[in-house]
Amino acid sequence: MTNIASSRLDGGFRRAFRSSAVRAMAALLFVLLLGVLFNADGSFFHWNTHRDMFRHISVFGILACGMTLVIITAGIDLSVGSVLGFTAVLFSLLSLQLGWSPWLAVPVSLLAGTACGLVSGSLTAKFRLQPFIATLAMMVFARGLAKWISGGRKISTAVQLADGSYQYKDVPGVFRFLNSKLLGENIAVVTLIFLACVVLGGLILSKLRWGRHIYAVGGNEEAARLSGVPVGRTKLFAYGLSGLLCAVAGICQAAQEQQGDPEAGSTYELTAIAIVVIGGTNLMGGKGGIGLTLIGAMTIGYLEKILSINAVGEATRLMLTGLIIVGAVLFQRVRK
Amino acid sequence: MNARTFFIAALTGAVLVLGACGTKQSTSEGTAPEAKDAGAAKYTIGMSQCNLGEPWRVQMNQDIQAAAAGHPELKVIFKDAQNDSLRQRSQIEEYVGAGVDLIIISPKEAAPLTAPVAAAFAKGIPVIVLDRRVLGDAFTCFIGADNKRIGRAAGAWIVQRLGGKGKIVELKGLMTSTPGQDRNSGFREGIRGSGLEIVFEADMKWLEPDARQEMESALARFPKIDLVYAHNDPGAHGAYLAAQAAGRDKEILFVGIDGLPHEGQVYVKQGILAASFEYPTGGREAIETALKILAGETVSKEITLSSRVFTKENIAAGGEWLKKP
Repeated sequence: MTNIASSRLDGGFRRAFRSSAVRAMAALLFVLLLGVLFNADGSFFHWNTHRDMFRHISVFGILACGMTLVIITAGIDLSVGSVLGFTAVLFSLLSLQLGWSPWLAVPVSLLAGTACGLVSGSLTAKFRLQPFIATLAMMVFARGLAKWISGGRKISTAVQLADGSYQYKDVPGVFRFLNSKLLGENIAVVTLIFLACVVLGGLILSKLRWGRHIYAVGGNEEAARLSGVPVGRTKLFAYGLSGLLCAVAGICQAAQEQQGDPEAGSTYELTAIAIVVIGGTNLMGGKGGIGLTLIGAMTIGYLEKILSINAVGEATRLMLTGLIIVGAVLFQRVRK
Repeated sequence: MNARTFFIAALTGAVLVLGACGTKQSTSEGTAPEAKDAGAAKYTIGMSQCNLGEPWRVQMNQDIQAAAAGHPELKVIFKDAQNDSLRQRSQIEEYVGAGVDLIIISPKEAAPLTAPVAAAFAKGIPVIVLDRRVLGDAFTCFIGADNKRIGRAAGAWIVQRLGGKGKIVELKGLMTSTPGQDRNSGFREGIRGSGLEIVFEADMKWLEPDARQEMESALARFPKIDLVYAHNDPGAHGAYLAAQAAGRDKEILFVGIDGLPHEGQVYVKQGILAASFEYPTGGREAIETALKILAGETVSKEITLSSRVFTKENIAAGGEWLKKP
């Protein structure tokens, strides 16, 4: 009797444990436990600490949402950081310096980001370049674009006039809004945007035909092609959406820095990839989900926050982050 | 659109972009006198910049360009080594091969560039080394600023400004880099013996987003912070944005280093920073020294640049020179 009961319990536990989400949650809980143990004189228990963690991770999270779609198609998008930098500069140039209305500057920036994604996508889909190569090229190219349109300088509210003196423009309302907090100062606007991207990505993957196609292409491209899935267009869609989300992240980044930095976003692609794999989305494609990416973002975000409030030295931070990434991903594989 | 048309369209686009870049470059050179009157240029100076990713180095090139613009006898060629020591080495070799009259180099790092600089110097080409050093003494002149001195001056200024006591957050530049180490140790010397207490310190790696995140942590932990000392102005600005978001920007002073005209000086004018300490690029001094060398004068082997502090009170007057130690 007890034997059967315990084995049934065990079975239930195992089944739950088999799900990637539960495993991802376990890694997150482990990091949260670290936070409880090393709470930096109680700062970890203030909501503000959590709110700030969410604000900081939002830009990375938005990139990771697009990255998730691309990775599920068995691809990779290395260009996200550079496209973020390019769109941050473009958005700042249009709205800070040229004084465009946000109703125009935002869509133009989003289009520019999407265009970058579509170019990477078509290089992959139409010209059969490996995603690694195509997006590597876009990573370099977009960084060049960012430096070119900015002249290598940060685009800020200080506009240099012909005689070398500076004129100061007001920070536009859209910058102030995106940099603010809502709901009684309890959540950053950029975090709400991140959550909206999570919901959007989740809907696409679970409810839309495009979502099923993305899984099919990543699972087995040839089989998908034979069963009538438009493989090329599906890839274009995934990379295009990733580009769009890069632009969303770029706009958020510019608003938070109140300037467009042509160097913004370097190495962000690595953090975005780390977030996706810690969540449990498989780099080989075909498996994963946006919910997992949300958990992955929180794991990385809390880890950074806990190390930061404890003022842990840089060397230790890097080593601990490396260990946690390996630990979390190994944990995803245990007895699967 | 089939694959081939797409490819042709993409290629055309690429050519157009490159063409546009090319035109832009030639117009920017067109503002310098040498392009207008290339025949009149008597001396060619080759400048090798280790990277143009940092605004400070973009400023250095502009300072050189601006100083040279007043001298029609000079023609300056700029090369960017994109943070690659070996590429910078080839650039020096190219300048030697092209037979330039003088080389200015702002080296990425000492060891790999010492030999090419020495080789150029041995061929009789004067070499001015800017900002970062090479080993030995096979060059004509080193021009640079002293980070330790600037850190010390910042420390002394802060002690005075806070009346000798207060709680400080220090946001450090990359602590594996010499400027980060010197701006840290100089500052510690500057505040020694005072009642200032460093309650929180973190490495923000010169990056504004990192500075903002570290400052949020400091704000979460400490209900009272009097001043933030950041190793560069973007770091101080990031800290300001964090404090502003927490509604605490009015009770904290922010001090940064670099004092670039379009960055730190602007922040001081806007009242964001209480002070920014200039880390001069030496671009103007390099051209002045080059002119002396080309005229056959002897110059001192080492020139230490003096720097200014910019505050709200003195910014309109162009800052105040720091006293020589």
